[in-house]
Amino acid sequence: MVGGEKQTRSITRKAVLKVKLKMASIEIENLTKRYGATTALDNVSLKIESGEFLVLLGPSGCGKTTLLRCLAGLETPDEGEIYMDGELVFSSKLNRIVPPGKRNLGMVFQSYALWPHMTVRNNVKFGLDVLNLSESDSKDRLDQVLKDLGMGDLQNRYPSELSGGQQQRVALARLLATKPPVFLMDEPLSNLDARLRMDMRVELKKFQASTGSTTVYVTHDQTEAMTMSTRVVVMRDGLIQQVSPPSQLYKRPENTFVADFIGMPRINLIKANRSNGKNRLYSNGDIDIDIGWDEAPSSIVVGARPEDLKISKEKLKGSQAYEVSSVLPNGPETIIQLTRGGTILLARIGHEIDLHEGEKVTVQFDQKALNVYDAKSGALLGPPIDTNGTN
Amino acid sequence: MDLAIQRDSPLMRLVLDPVNILLMILLGILFYLVLWPFLELVLHTITWGEGDRRLSRDAVPGEYTWFHWLQVTASPLSERMLYAPLVNTLITGVISTVIALIVGGGLAWCVIRSDMPGKGWLQPVLTLPYIVPSFAIALAWETVFRSPKVGGQPGLYETVMGIPPPEWVSYGTFPISITLAMHYFPFAYLLVAGALATIDSQMEEGALLSGASRMMILRRITFPVVAPAFAAAFVLTFGKTIGQFALPFLLGAPTQFHTIATMVYANLALGLDSMAYVLAILLILMSLLAIWASNKFVGKNARRFETISGKGFRSRQVALGGWRWPIFWSVATFGFVVGILPLILLGYQSLMLIDGFFNLSNLTMHFWTGQSDPEIAMGEPGVLHNANILGAAWNTIELAFFSAVIASLIGLIIAYIVVRKEGNPLAKMLDQIAFIPFLFPSIAFGAMYLTMFAEPRGPIPALYGTFTLLILISVVNRLPYSVKTGVTAVTQIGRELEEAAEVAGASWGRRFRKIIVPLASSGVVTGMMVSFVGVMRELSLIILLITPSTRVLMTVGFNYAEEGLTQLSNALVLIVAMITIAGELILWWAGKSRLVRLREKQS
Repeated sequence: MVGGEKQTRSITRKAVLKVKLKMASIEIENLTKRYGATTALDNVSLKIESGEFLVLLGPSGCGKTTLLRCLAGLETPDEGEIYMDGELVFSSKLNRIVPPGKRNLGMVFQSYALWPHMTVRNNVKFGLDVLNLSESDSKDRLDQVLKDLGMGDLQNRYPSELSGGQQQRVALARLLATKPPVFLMDEPLSNLDARLRMDMRVELKKFQASTGSTTVYVTHDQTEAMTMSTRVVVMRDGLIQQVSPPSQLYKRPENTFVADFIGMPRINLIKANRSNGKNRLYSNGDIDIDIGWDEAPSSIVVGARPEDLKISKEKLKGSQAYEVSSVLPNGPETIIQLTRGGTILLARIGHEIDLHEGEKVTVQFDQKALNVYDAKSGALLGPPIDTNGTN
Repeated sequence: MDLAIQRDSPLMRLVLDPVNILLMILLGILFYLVLWPFLELVLHTITWGEGDRRLSRDAVPGEYTWFHWLQVTASPLSERMLYAPLVNTLITGVISTVIALIVGGGLAWCVIRSDMPGKGWLQPVLTLPYIVPSFAIALAWETVFRSPKVGGQPGLYETVMGIPPPEWVSYGTFPISITLAMHYFPFAYLLVAGALATIDSQMEEGALLSGASRMMILRRITFPVVAPAFAAAFVLTFGKTIGQFALPFLLGAPTQFHTIATMVYANLALGLDSMAYVLAILLILMSLLAIWASNKFVGKNARRFETISGKGFRSRQVALGGWRWPIFWSVATFGFVVGILPLILLGYQSLMLIDGFFNLSNLTMHFWTGQSDPEIAMGEPGVLHNANILGAAWNTIELAFFSAVIASLIGLIIAYIVVRKEGNPLAKMLDQIAFIPFLFPSIAFGAMYLTMFAEPRGPIPALYGTFTLLILISVVNRLPYSVKTGVTAVTQIGRELEEAAEVAGASWGRRFRKIIVPLASSGVVTGMMVSFVGVMRELSLIILLITPSTRVLMTVGFNYAEEGLTQLSNALVLIVAMITIAGELILWWAGKSRLVRLREKQS
């Protein structure tokens, strides 16, 4: 099993894929989809650039899969428009619905949806049969795709005789065979075990880059989203919360939901009120935070990533004393739970720092990294200024 | 991208969806073949017919009247026509069902929950009586207990004992109840065995740890848990027994003992069509009542007794200890007596030159291989030479084959619509209408088609007397089963498999042919075999619709039995029994080898 995995581990090990795809952008305008009383997509608009690897991320039921299936044409939205490569493929106003098979896209399903009664080769061939390609063209293309994905030796096997990673690869071969400019992927890695998932992430990223396809990828796994995407769309209750490149998503979550959803362990969200007469100092009764910014409203939520808490055993200027209530070592890093009064904070420190439960430490917030949100709306209020800067 | 299809309105899209088109067509067809015949039947009973002129001076053909209903329910004839047969139906039904349930339940427990030896081969033997045509058992009973008082030759009992058996043993309530029970106990057995197999033995082990005795566990834990299944089995078995026609007819008619089902046939034979139809409607109502009761009971209690929790399920077998072999021998003897002995008796009797003389010099192969001889059996040649019978055999195979194939295919399409259009009220309606034939006792169903297709109606010609009508009724009669098989098969095919083909641009027809049919095929082919065997042994359903040119083995056998040509009828029934047993064996073997293959794949 393991040996077999290794032999065909990387598709892109030798060279980039031979298949180059056409470019295509996708535009979604005011898309709404309802199921009875629930709204799965609420007036969603999004522009996806050609060649982009866009990840739709969110908790289950947020509408990400519905959006993907609307793009595929497997669901019919109630309102809105979809353009692919400048072509209108869906419009509620014009009653225009291009069926899935005519949208020029390929899809990888969560279960891979390999047809169990067909061999690997026939699975890949099905799409070419539908296109009515000539026998020789079809054969050449098949051989090429199977070779590119390292499935040449396995082409006469049935899906049930393949490992999870190999099945995944057949799904990719099937996707590639018809040369669609748009790839849609619905949690394609969720059925793999943790280690294989890691390998496949790398493989998929290379696969996408070398084909140059426009890819829309659905997942609920933020690590997957962060590592593979060029941009991430975070969704919740049918609404888009934020569209950003992954790094910015982590550093500058645009509201408390995104801040809370992204990051492991969770961000510290501290609800605080302005302390009497002190513009930059906020307090929740237990702890005081200097946000380094004096035009925020009186009631805010401070978002501080665990690594933005500076822990020290000595007393520093502007720091407060905390008690270490829990120490959770996790390989290269250690997560520390800190308590002060009724407030609990999580901090991330290097494994070399030795701390024990019950120990007293002081904590400083990295003001540059803090995000400040409006307590009422949860929206990002803007960057706190540098403490040393002028305002 | 020029291929984009522009359509006018959402309504047009719905109308143009091939699945919706099929849905509407099937709804129309099923409405016509299932609901409309019932309506026709009812209408027929409340309308004066041409033939009614000789029954009543008031008859005005075409006008509405309660005459037939009153005749059946409240006239000097009612006692003989309705009430006595009704009582007979209920009594034989209840007695046979109780016996079938006790025997079937006991056997199910032995096979599923105890460590009785020999289960592997006992199980198929125990289901034999249900596999062979029901009236084979009636014929076997007659062979043993025939009473010369009714005419004909003495049976085995009289030959051995020297005195004839009492008449109540030969004909009437007692033999009908016993033979019905013999035919239906495997049905009860299968139902109860299914329920027993779902019991988690941890429940029983819990009781064992608290010190309960084995009997107490059985009484306080096991039985209450399977009680709802028992109740459902009771009602379903009862519902089946009341629709039985051939068996009570053979063992009752000679002494004027009638059930509602045989009365339907007898009235039709006398030309009292409307009376027969009133009785058929009453039979349907009884059946509906039974199913309704079963649903009500099971529906209410099923949740409470939900025992499959998925996790930690274990089924431990109960050790019989010293009783192990005595129980095995009793079960094996019983299996032999009800499963194999009747067939041996039939076979033996079909070899007797003169019926009723059980000595070796009387043996002959005439009824199997003999040429026509005017001295014997009114000149009917042996079954293997008889052109009539060979024609009937061919008809039988044709009927069973076409019905099974068509029923399975339509069943699969209906199942597909039902599964994929879940939530669509029309699809739900289709599902329900396809189930309705299950509620019609087969003789009543035959009566419906008789009224429906006796005369041409609009574009539909009079199908009575055609082979098409036999196929039609057999297909519709099998639909409840084939839809169920199809639903199981389609449910197992993930929706994504089809969507993957849809994204690749495959049309619905292509998806159905290339994805659905191949993936559903193993389940559907098994269902097809079951239907093939089922149609082959069917008699009550088609007995009213058969004409000489469309005769099948079962009806020929039945006619021979009616005419007293016992050996020929036995030989025929034996042939059908052998074919059905062979079919079941193939199914059993196929199912087993599939299990083996599955296991190989998993390891």
